[in-house]
Amino acid sequence: MWPTRSGWPPAGALAAAAAILALLAVAAPAAEIDPLRVIDSLGAMADFAGHLLVAPDWSYLPDLAAKMLETLAIAFLATVIAAVLSFPLGILAARNATPHVAVSHLTRQLLSVMRALPELMWALVFVSAVGLGPLPGVMALALVATGFLGKFFAETIEAVDTGPIEGVAAHGAGWLQVRRYAILPQVAPDFIGIVLYILDHNLRAATVLGLVGAGGIGYDMVMSMRLFQYDRIGLIALAIYVAVTVLDRASDQLRRRVI
Amino acid sequence: MSRIEIASVSKTYDNGVAALKPITVDIAAGSFVVLLGPSGAGKSTLLRTLNGLETPSTGEVRIDGEVLGRANLRAMRARIGMVFQQFNLVGRLNVMTNVLCGRLGKRSGLGSLFFLMRRSDLERGHAVLARVGLTDKAWERADRLSGGQQQRVGIGRALAQEPAVLLADEPVSNLDPATSREIMDLISDICRRDGVTTIVSLHQVELARRYADRVIGLNDGNVVFDGPVGDLTEEVLRRIYGDGEDGGEYGGEYGAEYGGEDEGGHGGDVADA
Repeated sequence: MWPTRSGWPPAGALAAAAAILALLAVAAPAAEIDPLRVIDSLGAMADFAGHLLVAPDWSYLPDLAAKMLETLAIAFLATVIAAVLSFPLGILAARNATPHVAVSHLTRQLLSVMRALPELMWALVFVSAVGLGPLPGVMALALVATGFLGKFFAETIEAVDTGPIEGVAAHGAGWLQVRRYAILPQVAPDFIGIVLYILDHNLRAATVLGLVGAGGIGYDMVMSMRLFQYDRIGLIALAIYVAVTVLDRASDQLRRRVI
Repeated sequence: MSRIEIASVSKTYDNGVAALKPITVDIAAGSFVVLLGPSGAGKSTLLRTLNGLETPSTGEVRIDGEVLGRANLRAMRARIGMVFQQFNLVGRLNVMTNVLCGRLGKRSGLGSLFFLMRRSDLERGHAVLARVGLTDKAWERADRLSGGQQQRVGIGRALAQEPAVLLADEPVSNLDPATSREIMDLISDICRRDGVTTIVSLHQVELARRYADRVIGLNDGNVVFDGPVGDLTEEVLRRIYGDGEDGGEYGGEYGAEYGGEDEGGHGGDVADA
């Protein structure tokens, strides 16, 4: 028996479960999910894993360090740029802080376009625009992150307590002053928290930008795969793992202290 | 010292609720006026039209002869302090910054957006905090303070702007009786010593008796009494609060007294007033 009036599970939950099962039945063939194929390729996977058990190419370390630093720099730059840009955009997009509803709609539309394409697609676009290197990578990450941050920022502003806004406005504070003194302090902890998440995400995203020639460790990763340089692949994977984990822990700590 | 003229001000909200029927009241400079009335009588709405937090549907508000409007809103607000029932402080900012928010109306520079304050403003902040008795709390976060202390910060913020008018919307409704009296003493002192025209909305009759020069009784958006505090008789209170069905509305002390003397039948004239 379920703790409902009829003793049956809630109709909504049943419907949701049925819908998910139906979608799975449609999606599995489309993605060519085939257990046999996975089992058949176990040998190949073991083979690949075996190749990784070679002495690492230590002479590659300085290069690796430089590439990892570049990857971190791309992620960090993109996050800072996005945080700065999303600040005014978030205020313009929030219905309770925007100078006009039309501005809010327009800004939301702009932010949604920024988010619509994944980083890798934007990177492709910018590589063809400004050429190979870390710059198009930074641009791509910053653009998508601005789209996310701006939207999140606007939503946080809309949930703000109106009391302090009246309290500050009633004493003659101007338009910008009200936003600075009454709204920003209220949203600051949430905003810092989400910026740290975005930094995490951007580091992960920056590791694959190299696939399309937009800088970072990704290029080396792809090239070593293509050239069967197994003595490098392991090192690269380990370096990415360490960087992502360390940043993840550090931002967790920081977030806990802010909120 | 500022004279406040309320000239046939009414307020009908977008949802059709007529919170204020046309009201005309002239408030002398430097006086201490208490707005008395049950919840929903229009006390808050009337106060809020005086600094433009609400725009009157009809009529106008004049302060020292100057009509309050969109164009001069900021300049007028810079002369009008307001104290709120819920304090309306910015909880995450420290006490001093909250107090200095009262200076913002006079500071338009870019510096104010980076929390850069003038030395003279900070000195004013310290003086104000000394007056409201919070010198030792200056650098604490406002939301770490007790209710009474937060209301003192709210009063400090209003004082920081050197107001000519002080509006207080149910400033003691969320406070215990002893703290309420401290806060009312402080507001009264600002009125008497600094000559600030003060309008306070209250629902406690005994506090009105104790502090007001003049009482304006509101019921259902109408002024049903306007006179010196000495004229606040039982009959008048019945007019303000209706015929006793909601006698508990304005505090246990008076409610008990009131319930015993209930004669009934006098509520009818409220609607015509």
